[in-house]
Amino acid sequence: MELFVAQLLNGLVYGVLLFLMAAGLSLIFGLMNVVSLAHGSFFMLGAYLGLAIFKATGSFWLAFVLAPIPVAGIGIVMELLFLRPLYRRGHMDQVLLTFGFTFVFLDLVQTIWGRAVLHLWAPAGLHGIVHIGLGVFSAYRLFLIGFGFAIALVLWLLLERSRIGAMVRAGVDNAIMAAGLGANIPALFSGIFGFGVALAALGGIAAAPILGLYPGMDSEILIPAFIVIVIGGMGSLRGAFVGSLLIGIVDTFGKAYFQGVALFLIYLAMLAVLLVRPQGLFGIKYSDASVAPAVTTTSRPASLQTRTSELGVLVALLILPFLMGDYPRALVSEIFIFAIFAMSLDLLLGFTGLMSLGHAAFFGLGAYAVAILGTQFELNAWLGVAAGVAIAACGAALIGFFCVRTGGIPFLMLTLAFSQLVFSVALKWRDVTGGSDGLTIAEQPSFFGFSLSRSLVMYFMTLSFFALTYWVLRRLLNAPLGHAFVGIRENEQRMMAVGYPTRAYKLLSFTIAGAIAGLAGGLYAIFNGFISSDAIYWTASGDILIMTMLGGAGTLVGPAIGTALFLLMKNVVSSYSEHWLSIIGAIFICCVMFFSGGLWGAAQKLQWRRVAK
Amino acid sequence: MLEVDAINAYYGDSHILHGVSLSVRPGEVVCLLGRNGAGKTTTILTIMGYLQPRPGRIRYKGRDIAGLPPYALARLGFGFVPQERGIFPSLTVRENLTVFARTGRGGAGSWTLPRIFELFPALQARQRNLGFQLSGGEQQMLSIARALMLNPSLLLLDEPSEGLAPIIVQQIIEVLLRLKREGLAIVLVEQNLSAAFAVGDRHHVMNKGEICFSGSTAQLERDDFVLREYLSV
Ligand SMILES: Nc1ncnc2c1ncn2[C@@H]1O[C@H](COP(=O)(O)OP(=O)(O)OP(=O)(O)O)[C@@H](O)[C@H]1O
Ligand SMILES: [Mg+2]
Repeated sequence: MELFVAQLLNGLVYGVLLFLMAAGLSLIFGLMNVVSLAHGSFFMLGAYLGLAIFKATGSFWLAFVLAPIPVAGIGIVMELLFLRPLYRRGHMDQVLLTFGFTFVFLDLVQTIWGRAVLHLWAPAGLHGIVHIGLGVFSAYRLFLIGFGFAIALVLWLLLERSRIGAMVRAGVDNAIMAAGLGANIPALFSGIFGFGVALAALGGIAAAPILGLYPGMDSEILIPAFIVIVIGGMGSLRGAFVGSLLIGIVDTFGKAYFQGVALFLIYLAMLAVLLVRPQGLFGIKYSDASVAPAVTTTSRPASLQTRTSELGVLVALLILPFLMGDYPRALVSEIFIFAIFAMSLDLLLGFTGLMSLGHAAFFGLGAYAVAILGTQFELNAWLGVAAGVAIAACGAALIGFFCVRTGGIPFLMLTLAFSQLVFSVALKWRDVTGGSDGLTIAEQPSFFGFSLSRSLVMYFMTLSFFALTYWVLRRLLNAPLGHAFVGIRENEQRMMAVGYPTRAYKLLSFTIAGAIAGLAGGLYAIFNGFISSDAIYWTASGDILIMTMLGGAGTLVGPAIGTALFLLMKNVVSSYSEHWLSIIGAIFICCVMFFSGGLWGAAQKLQWRRVAK
Repeated sequence: MLEVDAINAYYGDSHILHGVSLSVRPGEVVCLLGRNGAGKTTTILTIMGYLQPRPGRIRYKGRDIAGLPPYALARLGFGFVPQERGIFPSLTVRENLTVFARTGRGGAGSWTLPRIFELFPALQARQRNLGFQLSGGEQQMLSIARALMLNPSLLLLDEPSEGLAPIIVQQIIEVLLRLKREGLAIVLVEQNLSAAFAVGDRHHVMNKGEICFSGSTAQLERDDFVLREYLSV
């Protein structure tokens, strides 16, 4: 009984911290239709700035009160300078932009405070333990519960009882109408964004004495906070509150009583809610599904000119390995593999208009198929690749079945949650997957009798799969099926009206994309000789999204170029500068701001303009 | 009071309005008529600042207002009643009325909640209901009432009679007549000709983004060609 009460209170503490995150996330989403992936970064910044203020002043309470202010300032500046110019574009560009910022903030924290776990102690007055009827409990944790409930009450009163709260709710309902009645919507957006950021930062400093401070705390709080708002209903404060407490308690009890499956419990809770109420427990607002990312081109039949240039590139790629050593060959091989992965994502993102933040799950299925079948059943790696493609396709069909009912941002969140489910299986099922220690691939297969341990053979192996995937995808996109996908991206309503079962088509696109990602994963397992759960953490899905968008979604060449650029930068810049995270983040931010449609898209636009003249 | 001077407007690349001009004098009701897709809503949205005229000039009380955002125009005295009514569904009727209310400035009558409820008794009974619980007619009345709570000097109404039962349309006409008697200037978009004839002083007929007829009620009633070609009477 004592333990039960203690767990319940722990669950409430975690729930309160989640609420501070989710409330802002939900308000920002409701009003601005932006899912800010940088929200976890603000949580982290709040904690670290709080630590800095504590070190400077020696007062925890001063840190607690002051830390959110500069963080809110950073948030408002980000909204003003970066998000605002994008309001006229799709909301997806804004999501991507915030993702770019997570790199910059992470690098900032690592540079200033290092990578080690730091500690901030609870204030002297709340150090001790308190005897409550059923046992003893940390005073600081009790304070947090009370504080969190008080904040929730204040927020509720502000939103429901004040005029400014009514203005916010009116803006959530219909920002365009509110503008026509005199609401200064841009100012309201900045204000709410800054307010939400301040709440996240407050959560960060409040959490610091319990969770500690470390780079990576940003995504560790972000993902459960997403699940909270999916469960509670996006845009609903009440939903954020109930969802936070629910997830906090379920997670804490899961860890205490069902250690093996604790991680799944919150995902299962989420799925259960979504199956019964797709809009979440308290959600009323269906987000519009028509927020497709900015893409420039539709595929067009290959002209003689593109055929010739493709052939030229192929010849160049055939000659290239003879001009370089082992290390660059391996790097280019890796680029081929990830280009396959990026092209598969682009089928979904650029051509069908569905932005997935969970594509690494299928990559992981393919990779683990090779590794697990190899180590457990001594199956040949090529059979493993084939099995991986099949498993990834089945997984995608299953997951896609749930995801394609939605579109836009709910789709993004659902794919994210499912991929984290796959991730947590890989992490927790240690006997089979090796968890975060990973699995080594027992034996490297040969490629037409040549040993893949030679970099040249590896190069040609990956190149042939890359060329094959490119060719297959181009055929597919120029076929009626591809036109149907593009039609769905352009206008799903119209496709439905002319008799296309669009949901089935979206599922098909999702499945094909998953299968090809599985292929990339299988090849990666062979290439790398090792796979661990890190490869399918959500940031891996984010990275591949960046590669695709960097080069240009909606083209086949773009993702390949983006992949090459990303991996080259990662390898080259990281050998010169520790700040490659920031540099990639900044390049990506510029790319979203100035070249919507990616580098290749921008290049094509330039060319068309020249042709038009 | 309002002068719209040869405005052009686009949605993306499609050119919708081609040199539309109209003017509204204080206390006058100007109607904008025309078939579906003629460009009436686009004209209203451009006046209201949702679309930028390019090129074209809009002057209000002698001041150039082209390029001002909608909220600034609302604060300058525009009361906007959109075609789709734009009720805030999760706010109560009362909150819908008060959330953006402004106190009156010189000239315009000073609208307060009691006066609004006297004008629309149906709303008083429903003031605690949420916006999405209202019927179509109630929503239209709420939308008009909400615009009045800004104490505007110019009211922009986009097809207030659309989709409503004749008896409700009659009520709305009476409300508009009363507002007109109180001296409020109104731009009224209509497809319901009898409503337009009942309250309008002057009429502009639109077709394919251009104004193809301008004149008084008497002139329009007599012009069979315009009535037949552009208004399908
Ligand atoms: N958001 C939009 N994007 C592109 N074109 C649009 C958009 N809204 C309207 N149009 C086009 O602009 C033209 C004028 O439309 P508008 O809504 O102004 O007509 P209207 O006279 O108000 O018609 P109705 O009586 O049906 O309300 C139409 O041809 C319409 O198809
Ligand atoms: Mg209209």
